Formats: sequence, C-alpha cells, structure tokens
Amino acid sequence: MSAPAVELVTVNVDGREVQVPKGTGMIETALAAGVEIPVFCYEPRLGPPVGACRMCLCEVEGMPKLQAACTLTAQDGMELRSAQTSAKAAEGQNAVLEFILLNHPLDCPDCDKGGECPLQDLTFRWGPSNTRMHFPKRTFEKPIPISPTISLDRERCILCYRCTRFSEGVSEDLQLVAAHRGAQSIITTFEEEPYRAHFSGNVTELCPVGALLPSTYRFRARPWEIDNTPTVCGLCPVGCNTWATTREGKVQRILSRNHPEVDDGWLCDKGRFTFDHLRAEDRLREPLVRVRRRGFEAVGYDDAVREVARGLREAGGSVAIAFSGGETVEQASALARLVRQGLGGDAAILPDDLDPAVDAFRAPLSAIRDAEICLVLGDEPVMERAPIVDLWLRAARRAGAEVVTVGPAGSVSTPPGSAAATSAELAGGGGSDELRDAGRRLREASRVAIVWSGDDHDSGRRAATLAASLGLGDGSGLYVLPRSPNGRGVAQAWYEAGEGRGFDPSGEEELGALIVSGDEAAYDPRVAQLAERARFVFATSMFTGDHTLWAHVVAPGTSYLERDGTVVNLEGRAQRQRRVVDPPHLDELELLARVGTELGVPIAPWAAEATVDDHAELAPRAQLEAPPEFAPAASTNGAGPGLELVVYRPLFSGPGVERVESLAFQRPAPEIELAHADAQARGIATGDTVTVGLNGSGRALRAAVRRKLRPGVARIAAEHADGLGSHVEVTKA
Amino acid sequence: MTPSGLHEVLLRHADERDLTKRAEYEAVGGYRALTTALRTDPGELVESLLASGLRGRGGAGFPMGRKASFIPKPDQTPNPIYLTVNADESEPGTFKDRELMLRIPHAVIEGIVITCHAIGAETAFVYLRGEYATEFDVMAAALDEAHEAGYVGPGIAGTDTNVTIVIHRGAGAYICGEETALLESLEGKRGQPRSKPPFPAISGVYASPTLINNVETIATVPTIVGMGGEEYAKLGVENSAGTRLFSLSGNVVKGGNYELELGTPLRELIYDLGGGIPDGRALKAVIPGGSSVPVLTADEVDTALDFDAMAQAGTMLGSGAVIVIDERACMVQLGLRVAQFYMHESCGKCTPCREGTRWMVQILRKLEAGEAEQGELDLLLNVCDRILGNCLCPLGDAAAMPIASYVAKFREEYQRHIDEGGCPFGGESSLEGVVAPVDQHHAHLRGQIEVPIHA
Repeated sequence: MSAPAVELVTVNVDGREVQVPKGTGMIETALAAGVEIPVFCYEPRLGPPVGACRMCLCEVEGMPKLQAACTLTAQDGMELRSAQTSAKAAEGQNAVLEFILLNHPLDCPDCDKGGECPLQDLTFRWGPSNTRMHFPKRTFEKPIPISPTISLDRERCILCYRCTRFSEGVSEDLQLVAAHRGAQSIITTFEEEPYRAHFSGNVTELCPVGALLPSTYRFRARPWEIDNTPTVCGLCPVGCNTWATTREGKVQRILSRNHPEVDDGWLCDKGRFTFDHLRAEDRLREPLVRVRRRGFEAVGYDDAVREVARGLREAGGSVAIAFSGGETVEQASALARLVRQGLGGDAAILPDDLDPAVDAFRAPLSAIRDAEICLVLGDEPVMERAPIVDLWLRAARRAGAEVVTVGPAGSVSTPPGSAAATSAELAGGGGSDELRDAGRRLREASRVAIVWSGDDHDSGRRAATLAASLGLGDGSGLYVLPRSPNGRGVAQAWYEAGEGRGFDPSGEEELGALIVSGDEAAYDPRVAQLAERARFVFATSMFTGDHTLWAHVVAPGTSYLERDGTVVNLEGRAQRQRRVVDPPHLDELELLARVGTELGVPIAPWAAEATVDDHAELAPRAQLEAPPEFAPAASTNGAGPGLELVVYRPLFSGPGVERVESLAFQRPAPEIELAHADAQARGIATGDTVTVGLNGSGRALRAAVRRKLRPGVARIAAEHADGLGSHVEVTKA
Repeated sequence: MTPSGLHEVLLRHADERDLTKRAEYEAVGGYRALTTALRTDPGELVESLLASGLRGRGGAGFPMGRKASFIPKPDQTPNPIYLTVNADESEPGTFKDRELMLRIPHAVIEGIVITCHAIGAETAFVYLRGEYATEFDVMAAALDEAHEAGYVGPGIAGTDTNVTIVIHRGAGAYICGEETALLESLEGKRGQPRSKPPFPAISGVYASPTLINNVETIATVPTIVGMGGEEYAKLGVENSAGTRLFSLSGNVVKGGNYELELGTPLRELIYDLGGGIPDGRALKAVIPGGSSVPVLTADEVDTALDFDAMAQAGTMLGSGAVIVIDERACMVQLGLRVAQFYMHESCGKCTPCREGTRWMVQILRKLEAGEAEQGELDLLLNVCDRILGNCLCPLGDAAAMPIASYVAKFREEYQRHIDEGGCPFGGESSLEGVVAPVDQHHAHLRGQIEVPIHA
C-alpha cells in the first residue's frame, strides 16, 4: 500500500521560493521559507483559523486588500509579502499591534506572563516605542477567579478567542464564552459558574497574554529565575509529556510539552495542578519503625534498613508484594528482584496485568484522530481513566469518524460488566442488531480505533481477540486503558524478575512478609486485608494513612516528580520520567539498594542513563504469536433488587489529588447518576436529594438524571460508594 | 433615460390594492412568474438573472446571477443547498425592506421559491431583524396563505419542486446583517463574521452551499422572470439595471420610500419627490447610501443614483438610504453619532474594528468638546486609515469611511472645533431626524458635552 502522492506547490514568500504540500497553512509555509509571520489568535490545534486578531496581515499578489495569512493556504504560484518586505503589510501589522496595545495595561513588570509573553515579545520586536493613546484605558474588575485554579484579568485580554475556541472546539465543555459586544466584549464562563472541566487549565497556556493565569502561579516566580525540566506526568496511564517549572528547588507549575502522538500539547487539570501534593502537611519525611503496639518511632535509615532486612529474611520465602502501579520500571524491577530472586517469594498484587497480545495492535494515540470508526467498550468513563483519550475521540468525531460507545451509558446500551461478553459477540458477528451492524462497519473500515476502558477480567486478551477478529491492520489501533499510570511497566518488571506471572496472594492463609509499595497500594482495601495476615509489613508511602496502623516499617516515598526512571504508558510507549526536585529524604531506589545489599541482591541505587528520548518513540508492533483463543464470556452482572450500581474511579481522586486544596472543586459531587426512566418512575429530577441504600438504611445523595444511562443502572463515583452494595434502592428523600 | 419621477416596478399596484392578500396579489398577476419558473430549467433561470444585470440590493451590489452561479449543482454536493434571505435591515437610514415585507410579502415569497428552484434549494431561511415585529406577522400570515395555495411546501404548483421557508427572527445585532455573521446567528451561535474563504456559496449555513440575498433582490426576481432578464436590463442605466427603493430621510419635507429607476439624479429625489429642505434651509450634505458610506456635499447633489456615478463621486449607493443633512448640522457631532453607532455594533471579533471604533469615538468626543489638540484631527484620520481594509468584515470600514469623508469634506469645521475650543454652532446645531438620538441633542453646548461613552 503506497501513500497517496502529495501535490507540491511552489509559493514565493518575501522573494524566497519554497515548495510545500498544497493546502499547507500560510504561516507554516512562510516558516518553511524562513519567514516568521507574527500571530496571536492562530493556533492550528484549535481548529480552522478564524482570522480575528489580524496580526498576520500580509500582501498577496493579485489581492487588493491585505490578507490574514493564517486564513490562507498554499496554492501554486502564490506570492506573499510579509511585513518584512512589504511596506503596506508592515503598516497593517503596526496598525494591528497599536490597536491591540491600545487598552492593554502597561503592567508587564507586575504581570506573571512578563518575560514569556508573546504580546510582550512581539511588541519588542515590531511594536511602537510609544503610544498615541491618551485616553483612559478600559478597566475591569480584576482578577476574576473563574475557578479555584484560574484567574482572569480582563484588562490584559486581547480577545484572541483562543480560550473559548478551546472550550468549544477541543475539550467541548462549552463553559468559556464571550459575552457582550465590541470593545465591551469579555471572556466569561457560562452563567458565571466556575469553570469546572477536566481540561480547564489548558487555557492558561493558550492565552498569549497574562489574562488567564493559573492562580497557583500568581506572583510565584519570574521567567529568569526558573528552571523547566522535561518530564512525563505520572498520574494516569496516558503519560502526557510535561515541563515542570521549579524555582529554588520547588515545583511551581506544570506545563504541557507537546508530544504530537501522545497528548497534542494538552494536559488535564490533574496533571497540571496536583504538584502541590509535594508540600502536603502529612508527608512522611523519615522512616518509621513500630516500637509499641500502636506507636511509631522515627529512625535513621540504617536502623530502618536493618529492620526491613530482618523482617523480610524472617519471612522464610513467604513474601508478597502489592504494587501501586505508579512506580518507575526501575523501582518495580528492584522490588521484583528483591522478592523473587532475593527472598524466594512469588506473589504479587499487580494493579494491571495486561496481556502482551495487545502489542500486536499497538498504535500511537494520535491514530485515533484519523480513524474512520472508533469503538469504546467498558464501564469506566474514558474521561475519568485516561482523559487525553477522550480528547482524541472527540477529535475523531469532529473529523467525521463514527464513535460507537458500548456500555451502560453508551450509544449501544449494554448491561454493566458486559464488555467481555459484548466483545465476544462483536468478534463472532453476533449480538443485537445494533451490535451486528456496528461489527459490520468495524470490519469494513480500514482505520479503526478500539478503546477498552474497564476492569473486566482478562481485558487485554479479550481486546486482542476482538481486534484480531475485526482484522485491525496498519492505521488502526487498540488501546486498553490500564488502571494505573505505569501498570504496564510494573507488570513487565515483575514478569522479567522471575518465572512468569507468579501468583496472587489473596488466597494465602498467612504471609511471612508483605511489601506495600506506594500510597495507592496502601489505600487498597484488599491490601489492608492481606496485611492482617502478614507477620511483617514493610510499606513505602508519601503520606500517612491507615497503613501506618498496620505496617511495621514505613519508609517515606517519593512523588513522580522526585525520581528518575522509565514509565510505560497505555500505548506501550516507554518514556523518561525525570527528577524535577529532590525528595526530602532518600528515594525508594536508594533504600532498596541498601536493603538489597543486606539481602545479597545487587540493586543499582539510581536509574540507568536514559535509553529513551525526551520525546519517546513508540516501539514497533509486536507479532501476534498465536491467534488468541476465542473465549466465550458471560456478563458478570448479577440480578438483584433495585438498581445495579456501577462504581467508577473519578480522575480527581487518589492520595495526591486529595491533598490539593485547589482541586477540591474538581472532585465529584456527592451525587448518584440515574437513568431517565428510573428517575421518572421514582418522581426524581436532577438536583433532588435522594436516599440511596437497601432496606431502609441509606444515605442522602444528590440525584443527576442522565438520558444516556441504561435503565436499571445507577452510577456513582467510588468515593461516594463506600458501604453501598452492588444493588441499591433509590427513593426521593 | 426614462422620464423623471417614480418608476414603480416592485410596488406597482401596491397603492391600489392590499397585496398582502394572496387573492389580490394573484389578481394583479402575482405567482404567475412562479408557475412559469418552476417549469423552466434552473440553468435558464440563472441565465436570465445574469442577463437582467440585477445587482444585490443589500449594499454591496454584487450581481445576483453571478452569485447564484457560484452555487454548486445539487449533484455536485453531498450537502443540501440553502437559500437565505437577509432581512436583517439595520443600516441607519434604511427602511425599504420593511416596506416590501409589509406591502408585498407575496412577492418576497414568490422570489424565494423561484430562486430556490434556480439553485436547487429546498429550504430557505428568512433572517428577519428582531425589532421587525409587524413585518414578522405580515410575512408569517402571507407564508400561511402561500402554503394553503400550494405555492410553498411539497410539490409546488403541480411540479416536483419542494420548498420550505423558515422565518428566523434575529436578536438585535447590526452585525448579523453581515452575511457570515447572519449564518452563525442562524446556527444558534454568537453573531460574529466568519473568515472568508470559504464563501457561503461553498460552505454557508450548516457547512452547506448557501445563497444569501437581500429582501429587495429576492422580491425583484418574480419581476425579472415575468418580463425577461433582457427586458429588465433595459431599466436603469449601464451597470445599474432596474429600479430601486430609496429610503429618503433626514432634513427633507417628504421622507419615505421612493422606487426609482437607477440613474435618477439625487436632486430629483430630494427636491422633486422629497419636497426639498424644510423651512427654506440650505442643503449641507447628503449621505447617499446609508450611514456607512462617504458623504456628498451640497455641490454634489446632481450625482446620479447609480453604482458607477456614486463610485465616481467617491461614495457608494450602499443600501439606498438617502439621508439629507441641512445647514444646522455640526459635522463633528454627526461624526460622533455615526462613530458611536459602529462602536456599539462592532462585534468584537477582530482587533482593528473593536479597538479602533472605540478610539474614534474617544477622539471625536474630545473634538466636539473643544478639548482636542492640534494634530488630533490627523490622528483621527490615521486611525480611520488603520482600520480601513484591515478588518475581518466590512463593519470596520463602515465606521472609518464616513468619518474620514466628513473630515475630508468639512475639514474647516473640524479644525474650528480645535481652534475655537468648542463647537462653532454653540447650542444651535441640530441633527434632528438625521441619525441622532434625541437625548444627546441638548448636550451639544460648549463645554457641556455629555455624550455617554461606554468606557
């Protein structure tokens, strides 16, 4: 299969000839010719150009008026003259810059954007050195907190509409809008509600002036006193590429670092604002050793290492480990070798256990955008598990793709927990008419994206089976969303340290020792149960928690911003995480190296020199070793009284987020989502208080009625589901 | 040349009968053109429109036949084709479309159906200015009647032509008269112009091919079909075929709409038909095509009302709104009022218009108050110049062009405001009936200007 020939056209920019593919944007064409045309509103990631700011005015041969270059595309024989060679264009550009600056406050020394501000830069390069404006400038109340994380300064706003276009055309949250008209136009939120959306923070990066700023960065640093470290976000399995800005050894903000195949330069608010957890009050700073039944004592690392080595040695091979899934590959590998090679243990709780068969359908996330049809399977909302994937799916839909979602809230409605059964039906060409039709369209399309978002048993192998049966080829991709940020890398490290999978310790009667790696594992109720049966528990964690009640030794853990290493994202892309700031204590790898020395397992105390670039490439596809077995599966849902409860893990949850005050507003409200028919039958409307529970005992929650939700199903965020069973009765309070 | 005076083509019989009634309209030959047209090949209809020389009556004067010929044929596009009628008449001084809709609504509907057939559209939208409440009622009633008679709807007049007409009311924004802002508004979005290309003929409403025409243009279509394009082209003068409704207002005895052949001298409209200036006052200036066009002085009153003659005089026929200004008017105050209108109506999307119109108002206000410094007149002209041609849509130009012309043609009067530290008219000037909101009139006193600027 050969790619269609690209028609090249010749364009003349400021007397320089350049050949570009026909239809290339004029800003890019000029750049290819070595000519920079200044822009403010132009941002190709936001959709079609709008030509609003007029900064890019150029002269085009044959056109009487100046043209906004951003709205033009390269056509053969076009002659363009920018402000650098055309006096007319220069006058136009000067005019626009004068108009932009007319009401823009001269508060650069005071503005957080100063020093990294496109308006400031362009003014220095092309702008007038004085002003002809002698009237009072337009003033507004400022700053307006449009959310707890974002501040809006309307005086600085130059109305380029980048932010509203993002809200409308990228994240599609439709919350940022322009209000009023003409010189009185303002950016505001719809109905002046807080801007509460998973991707809201991106507007602070899109803003070409200091109008939209992260509140957390106001008056924190100046561009000349900061360092920007390239790293990878460690909070979800996407692994967005980021810059971490530090000043005097402290993280002050996180910015996106565009990896066009992974994140397209977008970053969710969890990735952007969670860094504040580094400074949480309950962070552990020293190792703790249990001295009495309920007491801990802070000890030095020598004592802690001795105590850990003793406890593990005395376990006599009966050792299990619980991973968080956020560890670097190097950390996980050290732990796995310690357990499997040093202690003879073979039991692990892995947050993710993805069948490598999925790698036969590996493709960059960006391939979703180019798909003709996308299939989304599973109960977990994609937005909550891997938010960037949701953006790619939206981009695909905007580009004309059909997006078929199958699940309890899907366009094809299926019962909860039935992704496995549905995938088998799709693979076998069976199921409901709707499903069969979807299967036919999936087979006919040449570019397909399958996204699997659920905790269904064996989802990797089932997803691969489905992909194989649908004949996914080049240009198509399969994306199984892990639960944890580096779950794939951790599992792989575990496998490689021993013989195969090992076993799950949940069934064990008694354990000699349990290693709990990280806060996520320490939070897991399954791990807590296991700890009750363990003679010795060694935990590492950033924060105090319930586990400090049952662990014997707790060593302080690091954040993903404090360690070097490799992480593997949902695509299977190995990326480099960098130490942005030093942890206030020894990092896990150093500690493990010392424990290893005690136990005779050589462990390097630091991650080896990086083998991956800061813009990591995706490894080629793996061979599908054998056609995966077609395994029939039954739906896991069971009958019960009342409504079946689907519990999902919200994006804004977890040990880090819970410690960040400014993100509290993003966490799910105490509400239960109800299907329209169920709500109607119970006389419930959105906003009503309802009692959720069984047999009279219940709790009060707010009802949210969802038209898309399947009748008989109710959905709730995990943090509000405590104590609720698989089925609940919902009544109007 | 035809004899002077009225030449009613569109409004023929409108004085004798109530043409809002279908039966009356039919009695004078109404809907006959529709029956003929639906049995005519669409290509032939477009040819006839081309031959008629009909130029758009909204303001820009683009030949309608050519615009229609840009629309892809139904088999060339996967999307439906739409007709959109621009009834968002809001240019100050313009009130012709409302008269057409109030008096000959069936001609508008007949024109819509014929045009739909010519371009292969099955749906037409009428984007009606929000304030036009009575016009809406009259149009809606006429549409009901046309439905009943089978002139609109499925299988019109026994053919397989289907046309649905939707009347959509605007929400009070001048900018929505700009064709792409109109489309945005029609789609339920904020009324702001789109960048062109793509032009509406290729990607208009709902990203589908869309022909957009003014009410008067559409209302002329049945006449052209009735008399034949070539016959229609004989009306008027070269490059300006046909008749037009001119909205005469300002300091004139008999204001109102006058249908004239294009090419009629301005003087005839103002003096012979309009009865001249009241109370024997002298003519000072004429705005010949709505508030957005450059002004003509009293000396230029013999200019003919056609596209070329106006262009030669450095102005435009625009929307056909002739505003007569007598000797009492202070041109600085006029400039301020006009600038304030455009500042108020600027949509805020592109920089030069949004910022420039506000700056113009600030400078003009200072001038009028007699507080301007030497050099600020040139600054004003430069601001106009820097808006002109640099905006996304014509609104910025519409603000800059008239103001620049006032300064150019009445520079001495502007200069005196600076030199004398106030308005040379004292409290005696009047813009009554021109473009001025009455509540601003009394403040035109030396040093007591209280013109609100939405700062």
